[in-house]
Order: sequence, then C-alpha cells, then structure tokens
Amino acid sequence: MKFIITEKIPELLESLSNAGQEVWAPQVVRDTVNTVLFAPWIPGADISFDMFTSISAKELVLPATEKLFSFRYRSENDLEAIEIESGEEPQARPILLFGARACDAAALGALDALFNGEPGGAFNDPAYRARRGALTVITLACTSCDTACFCSSFGEGPAEKSGSDIFLYPTEGGYLAEALTDKGKEIVGQQPFEDSCATAPPLVETARVDLTDIASRLRDGFADIDLWEQVAERCLSCGYCTYSCPTCHCFNIFDEMRFDREGERLRGWDACMFHQYTEETSGHNPRPRVAHRYRNRLSHKFWYYPENQGAFLCTGCGRCIRGCPGNLDIREAIAAVQQRHAGDARNGGR
Amino acid sequence: MSDLISTIQRTLEEGADLVLGWTRSATAGVAVPVRFYDSAEAEAAVFDSTCVHNLAVHLPRLKDRTVGIVAKGCDVRSIVELIAEREVARERVKIIAVPCPGVIDVKKVWRCFGYGKKCEDAGGQVAMEGKTAAREEILLAKCRGCRDVTPVIFDQAVGDAESLSAPAPAAEPAGLRERFRAMSPAERRGFWREQFSRCIRCNACREACPMCFCRDVCTMQTRDPHWAGGEIDAAEAQMAQQIRVSHLAGRCTGCEECERACPVGIPLMLLLEEQNEAVAALFGYRAGTDPAARPPLLTFDNNKDSWGER
Repeated sequence: MKFIITEKIPELLESLSNAGQEVWAPQVVRDTVNTVLFAPWIPGADISFDMFTSISAKELVLPATEKLFSFRYRSENDLEAIEIESGEEPQARPILLFGARACDAAALGALDALFNGEPGGAFNDPAYRARRGALTVITLACTSCDTACFCSSFGEGPAEKSGSDIFLYPTEGGYLAEALTDKGKEIVGQQPFEDSCATAPPLVETARVDLTDIASRLRDGFADIDLWEQVAERCLSCGYCTYSCPTCHCFNIFDEMRFDREGERLRGWDACMFHQYTEETSGHNPRPRVAHRYRNRLSHKFWYYPENQGAFLCTGCGRCIRGCPGNLDIREAIAAVQQRHAGDARNGGR
Repeated sequence: MSDLISTIQRTLEEGADLVLGWTRSATAGVAVPVRFYDSAEAEAAVFDSTCVHNLAVHLPRLKDRTVGIVAKGCDVRSIVELIAEREVARERVKIIAVPCPGVIDVKKVWRCFGYGKKCEDAGGQVAMEGKTAAREEILLAKCRGCRDVTPVIFDQAVGDAESLSAPAPAAEPAGLRERFRAMSPAERRGFWREQFSRCIRCNACREACPMCFCRDVCTMQTRDPHWAGGEIDAAEAQMAQQIRVSHLAGRCTGCEECERACPVGIPLMLLLEEQNEAVAALFGYRAGTDPAARPPLLTFDNNKDSWGER
C-alpha cells in the first residue's frame, strides 16, 4: 500500500494535469445548493467527496453527443451525390477521473462488454476504445453510504475493483492507495505517494435487493401489465434515470444540417423512457405507455443484458433513486416483481 | 391524518375512480406519490411538508378517469389552469384541498444532511435522524411569500376553512434572483450559456410540469418541426428550453416543479418568473386563478388567424 496525505491531493492532480492528463473530479456547481457533478478540474478548485454526483461519469467514454462523420450534397437536385468526410482514426485525449466510486468504475466493465471488443471482432467501437484506453480511473472507496446506495447487491459491492486503476481508501489524515493496473502503479510510484504498512479500513455495507432468479421472474411477469402499471405509476417518463445511469448506454443516430447542403451525422444519448424511443415511422409505438417503457428498462438491466453478457446491467449506484422527480425506487420495482412470484395478493384490474 | 383519510375515502365512495395522494415510503425518507383505489389503501395517506410533488401533472394522463386529488394551494392553481385550458374537465376532478405549511426543499435538505434522511415534520420543526431544522428555513423558494395558501377552488377541504388561509412564510432572502435581475442582456446570455452547458436534456423539467401536456409530440424533441437540434449541448439545450418556456406563456403557475426535477440545478424559474410577470403586465393574466378565464395562448382562432406555418 501507498499513502497520500489529504493536503497533497491538489499537488498530485496538478502534476498529472501538467503531464497532459485532463483531470475530472466531483465538484459543487456554482450557484447551486450542493449539486455535485464530475467536471474538469483546474488547480485551486474544491473537490467534493461528501455528496454523490447527480450524473455518472459515462460521458467520458460515451459522450452525450459525438460526430460520426460530415457530409455534403454536391447538387441540390441529386440526393445521391453525397461527399462523406469521415475524418481520421478516432483519437482521444488522456483523461484522469479522480474520485469515482466503485459503482462508477465497475459500470465501465458493463459498457466495455458492448463497445470495447477487439478490432475485427464483435462489439468493437473504435471511438469508444480510443476513449476507454485513454482513461485512468482513481476510485475513492466507500466507507459510508446513503440510503439510496445498494451496490452490496452486486459482485464485490463497495470492494469491486473492476474498472479502477487505483483504489483510494480514506484513512487518518489522508488516503491509502492500492494500485490495480500498470497505469495505476505508475502513478502511485511517484511523489507525493509514500510507502505505508497500514491496512485498509473496512468498507461500508449498503442495502441489498433480492435478485434471486430475477431474470426468470421478469419473464414470468412480462405480460402482467397490471403489475407494470402499478410499478410505474409514479414514473413521469423523463430520461433522468437513464441519462444519469452509469450503465445505460442506448444511443440514437441522427443528422443535423449545418448549412443548406452540409451536415453531420451524430450519435447521442437516447433514453428508453422516452415515447419517441420506440416510435415507428408509421406512428405505431410498441411501448405506448410508461408501464411498457419501465418494464423494458428493468428487464434490460436484470434479464436481457444478463442473459447476453452474464452480468447485471446495474451497479447499485442509486442515482435513479436519489434524483427521480417522482420518487420511484428501482428497488421497490424489483421487490414488486419478486412479490408477484411469491404470490402476494395484489390489486388487479386497474 | 384521520380527517385526510376519511376525506379520501369519501371521495372514493362518491365515485372517484382513484385518488392521487401521498404515503410514507420505507426507503425514500419523504412522502411519495401514490394512487389510492379503495378505502383500505387510503388508510396509508399522509400530508405534511414533505409532500413536495405537484400531483396535477398526472391529471392529463388520466383523462379517462374521475380522479380525486389531494392538492396544496399551488397545486390547485395548476388544476385550475388545466381546466381553463380544457385539458381536464371540471367534473372529472375532485379536489381535496389540504392546509399547507409550505413544503421543504428536499434536495437542499438531503444535500446538506445526507440523502434519504427520514424527514418528519412535527409542528414547524423538521426532524432528520438526530438533527432538526426549522421548517421555515428549508422551504422551497416558492413557499416563501406564497400567494396560493387559499385554494382557488376545491370540492372537499381537510381541516377547518381557517387553516386554508394561514399566513405565508416570510419572503426569500436576497440571492441569485436579485443578482440575475441586475444582469445586462449580455451578462444574462453568458449566464444561461453556462447554466445550459450542464443540461443533459433528460426532459425531467417537461415531464414534471403539469402544463407540459403535449407529451409525445413536444417540439423540444420533434424532428418535424425541427426547431431544436438533437445535440446534447448548451446551444441546443437552451433552444429547447426557450421553446418550452415560451409555450408556457400565460400557462405557468409558478409551481417550481421543473426546477425541483432538474438534476443539474438549472434555475429555470428565473426564466419563467420573468415571463409570468410579462404576461401579467401585458395581458393582465395570472395562470390558474380562474377556471373560466381564457388563457392568452388560447385566444388564437384556428379558423381566422394564421401565423403562416403549415
């Protein structure tokens, strides 16, 4: 283990920044009451470890909007005559994410499975790979949590180290640092880290959800629309849960014109909670109600993705609980699915 | 709560298909919205300063039902405006007015004391697991100097009529609002560009707004017409929000739900308050104060008027 005293953290970040890393850290947004977001850090700025960020750090690997290529119509009359400029090989600037939580870092693994495949194989997204390769993650281990946290339900919970390059444990006067990758070793091998023989403090134990056989229970309850109407009755159908989620990764591809004949093809975040997400050109929508959309969101996280990838598409960060304007709690939704299986009497016919 | 519960039960007995109200949640720490379908369920009803949501947002989504709704004075204004806009039929909504002491700014409370701390309101003091705060100090901005303590209309009232006209809490101390109002147009432009650089276009502002009932055909998102681009960036986010705000001219009742819902803390009410004042000055109209009024945006006559758009 290595050790860094709290006062030296800015020095560390400044030296990494001088070495060419763009440093991102959780910070309080000016003029707000403790709204905390991951944002580019500049020397002198305060870092906030007390509050959870409202939005995950996924934008560092999946930008909210990115350009795929530019195009230009050569002629007004011939829509087939298009020049496409796809640009160079995707490049990414080196980014250091400081102060992510284990749930943020672990979520990168869920995204990697879909975007970080080897070139030539499936799931190879060159732009994602470039950004992922240029990302270093220094994770702050959680010795406390709030009531929305439920990461203990998944994997190693607060001790889950996948996705992190360094694990920092808060301790007396500073942080113990455990390097987990070569990138991490290089950083902790330098000043201002010093050797330490201290042992890491115990990590927090969060609330848990019962995920026993959840995939098959979701399958069993799929057609029970009354269940979903009830589960989603507080849902307002906004996109906060999906956009703040570290594992939600759905995107839309669309064109925006810049001038009369020039435009760009873009890729940007999309949310399965929006009506437009499944709206077809005909006007038909296979998920016309909030109940259908929420059922899909839950099923993707706990049934479809696990079926395909062998892991849940949720790390228990709790953002969708903390920030939901309707106070919908995904844990209650899971519990409702479990209770249906247990045969609890429910009110039907709504 | 017994008066509240019996009033909800009576509303159900008198023909409401369901009643929108609040109950306690094991996990949330504050009251959460719930739908009561029968008398037994209604036993779980609560009302206190942690009932922050404006449940009127659900009314346009439940048009096919007769809906009872537990409503604060400000929520009633949203219902009144929905009726004035002919979005909700007066006879299909049964308003249960509750005496409101002001509701707390849950984000402020939780961000200061820790998320999810159970907030319990006991006579002006809000207790949060070992800490207490005077309710007055942690209210939402809209509650300070509230002008809607007495509901415009209602079908049932909980408590005595006098409690529906309690004095409003003191006005908000000077802060961002005053600073914003002193800004020049150029400074405001810079201010909003910075604010909207955080916007993720989750549309929580729109979905939490009772007056944003265009639902699935909102021009904040449509490609045709294509007023706002699909990019999640400051320019397009601001364009989309300007569209929302201008479509709320003469319709916004100032319930502040958009600002409460915003996950990145954009002070949307600064835009809406300015506009509400302008509408009041130009048209003498305050949204949600008269169910028989004709809202300014509804004075357009499809048969006679044209704005040259197909």
